[in-house]
Amino acid sequence: MLCGEFHTTYASDMGIFDTRRARWVLIAFIVALFSIPFVAGSYWLDVANRAAIAVIAATGLNILTGFTGQISLGNAAFLAVGAYTTAFLSSHGMPFLVACPASGIATALAGMVFGIPSLRLKGLYLAMATLAAHFIVEFTASHWDAVTGGVAGISTASPRIFGYDFSDDRRLFFLIVPACILHLYFAKNLFRTRVGKAFVAIRDQDISAEVMGVEVFRFKVLAFGVSSFYVGVAGSLLAYQARIISPENFPLSVAIDHLGMIIIGGLGSVVGSILGAIFLTLLPEVLRLATSALSGGFPHLVQLFTPLKLAVFGLTIVLFLVFEPDGLADLWRRIRNWFRLYPFSY
Amino acid sequence: MKLIRSALLILCVAASAQAQQEIKVGGIFDLTGITSDVGKPYAQGVRDGVAWTNENGGINGKKIRLVDVDYGYKIPEAVAAYKRMTGDEKVIMINGWGTGDTEGLKAQVNQDKIPYVSASFSAHLTDPTKTPYNFFVGPSYSDGLRAWLKWVKEDWKEKRNPKVAFFYGDNPYGKSPIEAGRRFCKENGIDLVDEEIVPGAFQDATSQLLNMKQRGADYAYINVTTTGVSTILRDAKKLGLATKFGSNPYGFGEALPQVAKEAAEGVTGIMVDVPFGENVPGMKRLTDFHKKNHPNDTHDTFYVRGWTYVMVWSEALKRADKSGKLTGEGVKAALETLKDFDLGGLTTPVTYTSSDHRPTTTVRIYQIKSGKLTKAKEYEMERKQEWLGL
Repeated sequence: MLCGEFHTTYASDMGIFDTRRARWVLIAFIVALFSIPFVAGSYWLDVANRAAIAVIAATGLNILTGFTGQISLGNAAFLAVGAYTTAFLSSHGMPFLVACPASGIATALAGMVFGIPSLRLKGLYLAMATLAAHFIVEFTASHWDAVTGGVAGISTASPRIFGYDFSDDRRLFFLIVPACILHLYFAKNLFRTRVGKAFVAIRDQDISAEVMGVEVFRFKVLAFGVSSFYVGVAGSLLAYQARIISPENFPLSVAIDHLGMIIIGGLGSVVGSILGAIFLTLLPEVLRLATSALSGGFPHLVQLFTPLKLAVFGLTIVLFLVFEPDGLADLWRRIRNWFRLYPFSY
Repeated sequence: MKLIRSALLILCVAASAQAQQEIKVGGIFDLTGITSDVGKPYAQGVRDGVAWTNENGGINGKKIRLVDVDYGYKIPEAVAAYKRMTGDEKVIMINGWGTGDTEGLKAQVNQDKIPYVSASFSAHLTDPTKTPYNFFVGPSYSDGLRAWLKWVKEDWKEKRNPKVAFFYGDNPYGKSPIEAGRRFCKENGIDLVDEEIVPGAFQDATSQLLNMKQRGADYAYINVTTTGVSTILRDAKKLGLATKFGSNPYGFGEALPQVAKEAAEGVTGIMVDVPFGENVPGMKRLTDFHKKNHPNDTHDTFYVRGWTYVMVWSEALKRADKSGKLTGEGVKAALETLKDFDLGGLTTPVTYTSSDHRPTTTVRIYQIKSGKLTKAKEYEMERKQEWLGL
């Protein structure tokens, strides 16, 4: 029985797991996670894969916005760079193990280029500069027909590793979810290192970070690079999972959705990115199920689905900002503590 | 947990018991997107057509269950809907909608062997060596544009070549017949002087029209849906342009003279299906159904189109069922046995063969005369081999 967390060494304070039990819970969770493909139908597998992709993308954005404090509206654009790189490479016969990391690197480079304005710009102004990145990429995607297929889009062959074809969502699950776990593990560890601490220092006060010897510009561009790498990999997996990508896959609303994920989940928290991404991926699906279940009695409800989705999304963000500003991550922490410290939670 | 599991189990058992007398057909419609002006009546037509078929014997006694979804004219939504329908719902075929999503899914439907009968008349879907599982009911967009250009040539009385402009949206539907049109102009002594691209949804086309005016176009073909067409027509009227406008199978219907008013006068357009209520033998079941179920609604040619689609694929389902091959492959093969299949005058008879999926090459051109849609001309376009898929 526990009545609080008592760390006696720096090493245990820096540890990923605060208790030994947490480690076993995580392992049990991962085992449960990998049993999903054996029980879920293809619809829920599609949702699960999209959720895992969203987790990678949201974690990427959280590294930039939540941990380093650089707001970005360019996430849809970076997702597009990753997706189109994969579609282009795979149509030229590149296997998954080349195309996916290459997409991440290409997007990291693009992200670093668009991150250069962050030297001079902060807050709202940086948001506008990254918004420009969005429109530049969108224009390129819909008019560079030779590479992107223009407005009609481009299709991606299913990924192959050593001749094994990940042709449907059930098989893709075993590709996307491990990739997601790998990225989460890296992100969790990143913030235990010097680089991660520098990111956080820049977020909290960039001038004092500079005074302490953090090269602000270098680390800001690096944050853009790391973040975009994540988003690029997410884009690459999206291209494989969606099979067909067109500029319509990457509207500005995707960038807003990703921001919503990290706000609802919790800024500056890896767990928050996971919870927020899953929450916002499931929300429209639940609404869809609800509207179609009710559409027997009210046939016009199906037409309400799209506007309803937006309204609920907006309302959720407002409610979270007011009542739970630290997001689902904080809610999760409180629930966990309540159970862990039961019955002596004080 | 146990309760949920047992409830799920009961649901599954119930669903599979039901599935034995049911044929599941997917429906991907646009009820809220940029083409919903014509997508809504079409979807209603398909739903009513299915209801009518079920009331009148179904598919040799089996009921059709339409599993439909609104995808808002977004390709990713259509892909997700397609996955759901083929994965969990196990539909035998799909009644689709837009050009972008249909062309995007063409490789996938071929791989999964899912007949995809789509409302897109894109000629790119007519070559069975490339798109064996794609079908539609009507002349292709390209044949429509060619026929309209033919009409332009006949309507033009001066010595010099007529000057023509194209208006189209920056999407696969808008662009679909443009290359065919360019070539047809070149081969037939028509000067294509201008191409204007309009956004997906727009309230103003003045700048495009002024551009076109500068190039001196005598005729212009508008390849967007009716709402966009009436915007262009009204702006043209405001600017006092003398250009004669024509429109495509989704930009021309009963709504056009109602919305664009006198700006629509004299405008020509491709009509694939007859207007609702037209005196043809096949119309009776539509008007009867309309009187019985929703007598106060108004319907149009796109509603009729939805019905013709159900008539075509339900016939194929019947034939496939009779030969005991109620599978994707069986339905495709059955569709390819349709020869001069009569649709009661709602649209021209359709024929599919395993080497040519052009259902018909007959194009009817209507003109708006004192606010009424009147048939102006009918062309029998050539079934040229090099036009297959273009």
